[in-house]
Amino acid sequence: MRAIPRRTSEPWRVGVLFSRSGCTSVIEETQLRGTLLAVEEINASGGIHGREVVPIVYDPASDPGLFASCAKRLMVENGVTTIFGCYTSSSRKAVIPVVERLNGLLWYPTPYEGFEFSPNVIYTGPAPNQNSVALCRFLMQHYGSRFYLIGSDYVYPRESNRVMRELVRDNSGSVVGETYLSLRAQHRDFLPVLCEVRRLQPDVIFSTVVGESTACLYQRYSDTGLDPRRMPIASLTTSEAEVMAMGADVGQGHITAAPYFESVRTPANSSFVACYRKRFGNDQPTNMCAEAAYFQVHLFAKALAEANSLETDILRSAVLGLEFDAPQGRVSVNETYGHADLWTRIGRVDSRGGFEVIEQSRAQVRADPYLIESGRAL
Amino acid sequence: MSNTIGNYPTPEASCQMRAEFTNLDVVVATRRDDEGEFLVRTLQRARARVRYVWPLPDRLPEDPDVVFCDLTPELPMRIPWVPGEPKAALAVIVGPGPIAELDLLINSAPDAVLHRPFTSSAVVVSLMLARSHFAYERRLRWRINKLDESLRLMRGVERAKEILMRTRQMCEGEAYRFMRQQAMSRRVSITTVARAIVDSHELLS
Repeated sequence: MRAIPRRTSEPWRVGVLFSRSGCTSVIEETQLRGTLLAVEEINASGGIHGREVVPIVYDPASDPGLFASCAKRLMVENGVTTIFGCYTSSSRKAVIPVVERLNGLLWYPTPYEGFEFSPNVIYTGPAPNQNSVALCRFLMQHYGSRFYLIGSDYVYPRESNRVMRELVRDNSGSVVGETYLSLRAQHRDFLPVLCEVRRLQPDVIFSTVVGESTACLYQRYSDTGLDPRRMPIASLTTSEAEVMAMGADVGQGHITAAPYFESVRTPANSSFVACYRKRFGNDQPTNMCAEAAYFQVHLFAKALAEANSLETDILRSAVLGLEFDAPQGRVSVNETYGHADLWTRIGRVDSRGGFEVIEQSRAQVRADPYLIESGRAL
Repeated sequence: MSNTIGNYPTPEASCQMRAEFTNLDVVVATRRDDEGEFLVRTLQRARARVRYVWPLPDRLPEDPDVVFCDLTPELPMRIPWVPGEPKAALAVIVGPGPIAELDLLINSAPDAVLHRPFTSSAVVVSLMLARSHFAYERRLRWRINKLDESLRLMRGVERAKEILMRTRQMCEGEAYRFMRQQAMSRRVSITTVARAIVDSHELLS
C-alpha cells in the first residue's frame, strides 16, 4: 500500500557522480553541467510538488573504486536513492552492485557496449544498435569495407569493437588490425599505431579511444599527414567536447555516430544550447553526453511529479514508458530494458569544431541492448 | 545470563553444527561485557575460531568468514566492502530494546540479526543464517555472471556455425557436429573451437 505523502517543503535530495579530475574529467564535467542545468531549470519553475531538487555532488576522480565508495556514501550517509552519474563502463559496473543491493536507481547518460540490464539502472545513452549499426552501414557505403580498430584498454572499447567486428564481418568487410592503448596514453604512444595504419591503408579507422588521449590520437593522425576524406576516424564517443580539446582544424572531416549533436535543429535544442552557453560560457559547446545528462534529469522530474516519491520501486515504475521532448527529439524509456529509445545520427566535424549532421534516423530507434532484434545485415 | 537448558541445541543439531563451524574464522565486534564474553564462548563451543575486536576499529577486518558487529551509526562506513559485493557474512547485533534506526540496519545490508541479550540458540541460528544467506547471494551472483558469459559464448558458437555453413557449405547440423568432433578430439570445449574458427576466419579473410 502506498503511504499518503505528507505535506512538506523538505527538498528532494539526489546524488550526482561525475569526475572533475582524472583522465575522463573533460567529458564528465560537461555531464555534470547538463545535470546541474536541468536541476536549476526544474527549481526555477517551482520544483516538484513545491519541493526543491537538491543535488549532492561528489568527485570520484575517474577512479572506479571511488565511484563505488561515493555511491555507498550517497546512499548510506546522505540517504539518497537516486544517483545521476558514471561515464566509463568500469565506473558503472562498480556502482551497480551498490544500487542493486541497497535498491537505488542509477541514471546513466553515456553510450555503452550493451549486453546489460539492471532493475536499478535507467540507461539514457545509446546501446550498440542505436549507434554502431548505422555507423557501420554508413562507413561501408561511403568509404569502404577494410576497418582498423583502435581503442582504450578497458571493457567499453573491447566490447564495442567486438560488436563492430561482427557487423563488419557479417557484411563481407574485414578488420585489418586491432590495437588497444592505456586510458592514459600520450602522444608518443599513438605513433607506432599510426605507422601501422599507414602501412595497412584501411578504408576506415574505427576508434573507441576515450578520455584525454582522444585528442592525442586525432592530433597524431593530423601530424602524420593522413587524409580524413579518404580514411576518416569514426567514433561513437568523440563529441564537441573532445573536438574542442584537440582543435577544430585537427578534428575536421572525421565522423561520429551519436543521438545528438549541438547542431540538431529542434525547439528544445535551441533553448538547451542557449541556456547552456549562458550558464557556462559562450565558447562552451554542448555534446551528446551533456544532453543525455540534461534530459535524464527532466525525465526524472516528470516521473517524480507523477510518483511523488523517491522510493526506487515507485519511481522506477513511473519512469518506464515515459516520454520527453529532449534536445535530440522525442525520447522515451522502454519498458523491456529500462533503456531510452533514442535517435541515431551520423555527424562530420566541420571547420568550426561542430558537427554537420549528414544522416539521421526517421524516428527514434528502439534500444536493443542484447542485439536480439537488430538484424546482422545492415 | 540467558543460556537456559531449553535454548540449547539438540544433540543432533550440535553435531551438525560442529561439522559446519569447525575452524570458521569469526570476528566479534561488540561491547566487551558479560554478554560479549558469552557470545565469544558460545561461538567457540560451536568450534569457531573467534577474534574479538573492541573498541570498534575504523575499518573492520575484511578477510574473516563471518563478522558479528554492533549496529552503530557509522557501521556501514566501517564495513570494508561496498554493499552488493560483500567479502564476509555479516550478523548485526542490536538491542536490548527495539531498534531505533531501521535505515541503518538496511544500509548495513546484514545477512542476519542477533538481539541482546543473547541466548546460545539465537547465536547459533544467526551464525547459520548469516552463512547460508551470504552463500546463497554469492551463488546467485555467480549464476548471473555465468549467464552473461554463456550468452557471449553462445554468440561465438552461432557465429562459428554460420562461418562453417557459408565457407564449407555445411548444413546447420553438420556444422555443429563438426565443432563437437573437433572439441572432443582436441579435448577442449566447443566454445574454444568456435572462438578458434571465428578468429582464424577473420585472420584469413
